[in-house]
Amino acid sequence: MAENRAGSILAVDFGNVHTRAVLIDLVDGTYRPVGYGEVMTTAGFPHGDVNVGMVRALHQISHGTGRQLLHPDQTVLSPELPDRSGVDSFLVTTSIGRPMRTVMIGLTRDMSVASALRAVAGTYVQVVETLTLEDDRDESAQINAIILSRPDLFFLVGGTEAGAQSTLLQMASRAALAMRLMGDDRRRLVLFAGNSDVEPQLRELFGPYAIVLTADNVRPTSEREQPAQASAQLASAYDSVAEQRGAGFDRVAASSALGVLPTAQSYGLITRYLARVQGSALALDVGSAVSTLSAAIGDRSTTTIRNDIGLGHSAGSLIEASGFARVQRWLPFVIDDNELLAFSLNKSLRPGTVPENLRELYLEHALMRAGAEMLVQTARPLWTDEANANPDASLPPFRVIIGAGAVFANTGRPGLSAMLLLDALQPQGMSELLLDGNALIPALGALARVQQAAFVQLLEAGGIIALGTCFSVSGQPRPGKSALRVRITLPDGEVVRQEVMGGTLWMYPLSLGVRALIDVRVVGRGITIGGKRKIRREVIGGTAGIIFDARGRPLPLALTAADRAGQMPTWYAQATGDEVRPINPEWLEATARKKESSQDVMPPRKERSKQRRGGERDAKTEQRAKEAQERKVRERFHSGGSPQAADVQDDSQRGKDDIDELRNLFS
Amino acid sequence: MNYETYFPEQRHLLPLTIFRRDRLLPVDATGSIEVARGDRVDLHTVVARGATLAPFTIIEAARVLRLRRPEQLEEQLQVQVGEPVQAGELLAGKAGRRRRGVLSPITGTVVHIGDGRIILQEEGENLIVEAGVNGHVVDLRRGRGALVEGIGAVLQGVWGNDRRATGTLRMEPSNGFEQVSREALDSPFHNAIVVTRRPLNMTSLQVIINQDLLGVIAPSIEPELIDAVRASPAAILLTEGFGSQRMSAILYTFLSNLEGRQATLDGVHPGILEARRPEVIVNVPLQSGEKPPAPRNDLILQVDMQVRVTRGNFAGNVGQIIGLPNTPIVLENGLRVHAAQIHLFTGETLYVPLENLEVFS
Repeated sequence: MAENRAGSILAVDFGNVHTRAVLIDLVDGTYRPVGYGEVMTTAGFPHGDVNVGMVRALHQISHGTGRQLLHPDQTVLSPELPDRSGVDSFLVTTSIGRPMRTVMIGLTRDMSVASALRAVAGTYVQVVETLTLEDDRDESAQINAIILSRPDLFFLVGGTEAGAQSTLLQMASRAALAMRLMGDDRRRLVLFAGNSDVEPQLRELFGPYAIVLTADNVRPTSEREQPAQASAQLASAYDSVAEQRGAGFDRVAASSALGVLPTAQSYGLITRYLARVQGSALALDVGSAVSTLSAAIGDRSTTTIRNDIGLGHSAGSLIEASGFARVQRWLPFVIDDNELLAFSLNKSLRPGTVPENLRELYLEHALMRAGAEMLVQTARPLWTDEANANPDASLPPFRVIIGAGAVFANTGRPGLSAMLLLDALQPQGMSELLLDGNALIPALGALARVQQAAFVQLLEAGGIIALGTCFSVSGQPRPGKSALRVRITLPDGEVVRQEVMGGTLWMYPLSLGVRALIDVRVVGRGITIGGKRKIRREVIGGTAGIIFDARGRPLPLALTAADRAGQMPTWYAQATGDEVRPINPEWLEATARKKESSQDVMPPRKERSKQRRGGERDAKTEQRAKEAQERKVRERFHSGGSPQAADVQDDSQRGKDDIDELRNLFS
Repeated sequence: MNYETYFPEQRHLLPLTIFRRDRLLPVDATGSIEVARGDRVDLHTVVARGATLAPFTIIEAARVLRLRRPEQLEEQLQVQVGEPVQAGELLAGKAGRRRRGVLSPITGTVVHIGDGRIILQEEGENLIVEAGVNGHVVDLRRGRGALVEGIGAVLQGVWGNDRRATGTLRMEPSNGFEQVSREALDSPFHNAIVVTRRPLNMTSLQVIINQDLLGVIAPSIEPELIDAVRASPAAILLTEGFGSQRMSAILYTFLSNLEGRQATLDGVHPGILEARRPEVIVNVPLQSGEKPPAPRNDLILQVDMQVRVTRGNFAGNVGQIIGLPNTPIVLENGLRVHAAQIHLFTGETLYVPLENLEVFS
């Protein structure tokens, strides 16, 4: 792709709750963010038009920079004029609204359809129907299923190059018949990424009913997979569907040279880039309706999107997906299932609100941690070959970890943001923690397509906020005993020494950008920092300073709410530097009366061993009861939620991929 | 983002305003529009008629008739595209014991004939969309309905059970919603939309059925009642949310002032990208020459503005802004956020995050 060297760039990202804009320009020959705007998204009532929010965000930037960015008719002024009003490039990303409802048609689930699923990485796709040769429904049933699923997109794959044709055409003709019977005048999208020999026949078949996009065969041979081009075409399809959705996206798309791009692809691109530079990278974006986890280790990268995990619109479906226990284990008080469900449903009714008291704070953070756990479990088997069997395996070391989403970005306390990221992902070893506080990543992802220099310069210039370097202890340090012996040599030669106790967090306030030499030594048996007993490393301070997490991995959360009430407020205090905010004892008493769960009520010590022996059976019975209750909840939401929303894709490229254009920069 | 550039969430509570509302068939329905631009409409004017999407049945007619070529089917056809058919009706070939014929397995319509096949579609459920308000049509939505403008009072809630009803607005009996069932048969609650200030429970849901209530405006329900509320024949609107919150005094008073008027309760189930809110609209007669204002959608927070708190210990309370600090405030939970200082009408003064405030427009 030819690079556009023109100067100023305006990037706008439409989230389900927030619309964020960033103005990027050349400052002393280097691209820098020069202005930010953030407002509530206006897709819903009363405006029903995302442009209203965008204009408000651009006014914020104009207010801060003095630069006019809009025409009098409120459209983006482009190109930039000599008086510095306007911008040269206007880029738009979005994660807003529902995912693209997609009918997947392929020959076999294990081959072409599996590759197609990997191709949808980084795009908000919900596979609503899958037709393969293994499908034993009759033709009427298949066609009715397609029609009733109200698809936006038909993704056709199958047949190796120079391979099967007739079967693929037969299946395609069913899709064409379904389109004809839909009877509306909307032209659907067809993306074909199968045996290229049948493309002319498919164009003829779908011509009257659909816009046909084509891409390289995702499975040209039984051994080879190439989902990259299909993935890029899916972004185009998403753009087209976003336009059709209304809410003013058609006007936004018309103003942007690249149309409307899916936000999640940006996370994939960033982690791939960082992994090539630093070895491995992980990005977690917990949004209101959708959450995304992008991981890159060496050349392997994956993006996992879950439309049922979010802290706003999807808070209700998060509970449905996770079950109550997974959330409750992160709470330092007892709460009955009904109250927890009411909390999450109310959050989905008012997704932009923030926790106002301590109880709400813990509840919201517990939802986030439970959601992140599920996201990691979904993604985990795809990260490395060794990990395939075990979704619960601990996180492999990631050199860079990025957090995004209001739950991390809007705490106003960098230490708290860092701790939440550590809790959510439980990284091992030494990691750089970054926070996308200004939602720059969506912009960067779009930018990489048109101005690679700007992409690299913004990343290297610290466009994403550095929270700090974190040293995480693996294993189980003994609480109250020394776990880490830390020596920090500051630039002026001053030396700071600290013993970090097991079960605690310690954050040294090394100022942002200041370098220091760290000597850290593990004390005690069975614990390491990513397999090492001592590390000597120069680090640069972040907004949270330098972080030493001696709590252990996996994080030793206490088993009872009463014990967590002693544990978690201390962690929060260590992360923020505030006094400990104690848990109201009534929150625990209420629990003990309401709950008979052994999980939540710690028995007297004498009885513990007895219970340990005989209690396993009780625990299983209780677990079964809990699962039954959770099944009921799932059924209750069955009509609304989509359990198959875990659209998992592995977009490993190993060769030609969509960041070819960046390759020179990577080297 | 601080208060100067923050546009707060709006949830209308307007005693007299001009409103515009879409009246549309569901997305997957097909149908026709029954009004024209400029038409006057009343509560029960039919704006659009249609039918839900119904399943298709594919019949391999040429194969059944053992025809050599699919084109030969044309000579054997007994029906045409668009023709309604009954189950058992002859579609192609000849009827009779020794003759070969294709009979319709369903009652529906012939929608396609070709390639040796006959495709039938079952009958969808008929739908009618009423205006639900007095006003006039200002625009048409192709194939789906119309945009109607009217004048009246608007109260928006947070959740609905996806039903709509039009009826007389009644406040619950002073001794509680459950007493509705003890009223005489000619009670004013029959076919009414009833307002209750207490959360709905299973008993109240039974009362709704027993007394044929058309709609209920309630503050909240426990989540375990969601299924029952969705299944309720009445349109139900929640003003506060899930749990056991009582209705805000300001909302209850607002509705009390409208008692006895015809109201339309639109229990929209809120969704992403949904530009509608669950709401109740009440047409209010105008004094001559009176022209009510349209809602203001571009309000920013200002001192003296009336706001509603949506979260925390004082959720549902209404008060007045008395301060808008320029710098973030550390809340009791440790979060550092932009907040407004609010004096509640119940007497308390507190800082509330900007995101947790709603204005009424």
